[in-house]
Amino acid sequence: MTASDTPTSGSEVVTEFVNLTLGGISSGAVYASVALALVLIWRATRIVNFAQGGMLMFTTFIAYEVIQHTGSYWFGFVVALASGFVLGALVERMLIRPVEGGPPLNAVIVTLGLLIFLEALAGMLFGGQLKSFPPAFSIRGFDVGGTRYAFAPSDTFTVLSVFGVALALGLVFRYTSLGLKMRASAFAPEVARLLGVRVGRLLTLGWALAAVAGSLAGVLVAPSVFLGPDQFDGVLIYGFVAAVIGGLDSPLGAVVGGIGLGLVLSYVSGYDSSSSVTLAALIVLMAVLMIRPGGIFSTTSVRRV
Amino acid sequence: MTDAVALHVENLAAGYGPVRCLDGVTLSVASGTVTAVLGANGAGKTSLLRTISGLLKPRGGRVQLHGHDIVGLPVEGIVRRGMAHVPEGRGVIAELTVEENLRLGALWRGDREEAAASLSDAYARFEPLRERAHQPAATLSGGERQMLSIARALMGRPSVLLLDEPSLGLAPLVASRLMALVRDLAATTGLAVLLVEQNARSALAIADFGVVLSLGRTVASGDPARLAADDSLRHAYLGF
Repeated sequence: MTASDTPTSGSEVVTEFVNLTLGGISSGAVYASVALALVLIWRATRIVNFAQGGMLMFTTFIAYEVIQHTGSYWFGFVVALASGFVLGALVERMLIRPVEGGPPLNAVIVTLGLLIFLEALAGMLFGGQLKSFPPAFSIRGFDVGGTRYAFAPSDTFTVLSVFGVALALGLVFRYTSLGLKMRASAFAPEVARLLGVRVGRLLTLGWALAAVAGSLAGVLVAPSVFLGPDQFDGVLIYGFVAAVIGGLDSPLGAVVGGIGLGLVLSYVSGYDSSSSVTLAALIVLMAVLMIRPGGIFSTTSVRRV
Repeated sequence: MTDAVALHVENLAAGYGPVRCLDGVTLSVASGTVTAVLGANGAGKTSLLRTISGLLKPRGGRVQLHGHDIVGLPVEGIVRRGMAHVPEGRGVIAELTVEENLRLGALWRGDREEAAASLSDAYARFEPLRERAHQPAATLSGGERQMLSIARALMGRPSVLLLDEPSLGLAPLVASRLMALVRDLAATTGLAVLLVEQNARSALAIADFGVVLSLGRTVASGDPARLAADDSLRHAYLGF
């Protein structure tokens, strides 16, 4: 801690802590959304989708172009999610399905190739120059009792929309016939087919829904990291760490892992320095994996029964 | 209950890579009857069921369900024509609750009322499942799991049921109750059952027809009592 930013009074200490906590929840929500995208695909196909970072970058570029041309943020927002849905479905149908049934590594390499391809394509189509992406709402922090906090209406939107999507997905999985079919297809694809479930269609839908969660993260984080072909690599990595912390298998774990990681990284960045953040993420990951190798919400032990 | 042929398999051949596992198997199952398929490990019993239900692509021959060819249809399409296959190891999805497993069996029909009716039928026929409806299927005993897998297969109101080694791993008493249940199901509902079993004696006891496979070929078939009485057959293939 350097002398210049050391809080002096008690109330400043509290304010700083509140700011770091709220900021951690806000960035954690974005990691949670990326983690959710990775977890949904891992559950259904046992593939780590490294292309997720490229996919959400691409849909965010599409949203940017739409916002530039129409002047409507919300139109761009909807287009981002819709194009994520379509892109997810296309990737599953055209790239993943042909390598399914082969060694799992094949599919992983396909996703890595797709990541590189999308980053190159984005550079060609949209240029390599960083663009500033508009936030949904004001980024001017809330003023409570004369103290201005770093948490702004746009952060509120980030947190609420990610929680909303996670909750909606959770409800669909838990309480609808579609969700039951999707869970069955993920746990036991062959048994599901023998019960008449059209597993192939559900896999496509699963990839599409996962990509929507990814695209949401893209538009939410773009205002703070700027928009460029490889600007989202960091978000992908933190999202991946969050997913692994949560157990890779559990959507709830993805959300808890994302928020938890966001908080830890925010405290590290605020109380130590922002250059320690990447190292902190690595330490958190290693600590969790040493204590619970399957991740916090892992169900692996249950499955072996 | 009719004597109409529900399932007809003719000269069926299949294999994995260079390995041939079925080499010209022919059999028929009439509605309301049980046909037992017997044979040692590796005789092709499981492959026969997997080929009939579409999990394994045949290399030759035909499979007819109520007179319609089903070779080449996707598994899900064959299910929609009235086939139910309880796979080896039962296929109970341990992560889902008992009731979720059951509901899954009727989802393709897309009719909530019929599904609800099937569910109450299932609980009426398999009482112990009702008490455990909301427990994870992982908590069931072997016998209960077998019950669940059969109950779930019936949720789709099939006309043909393929059962792969249902008595495997069950205590003798539970296994014999299960065999009686299979017998009873076929007789009372008109279901055509193709039963694969290692336990030849108990399968032949309830079957209307028996088929003995060895290395993918039919080596004997006919009246179960006659098969069970044939000493050379018993020693060579049936192990009792």
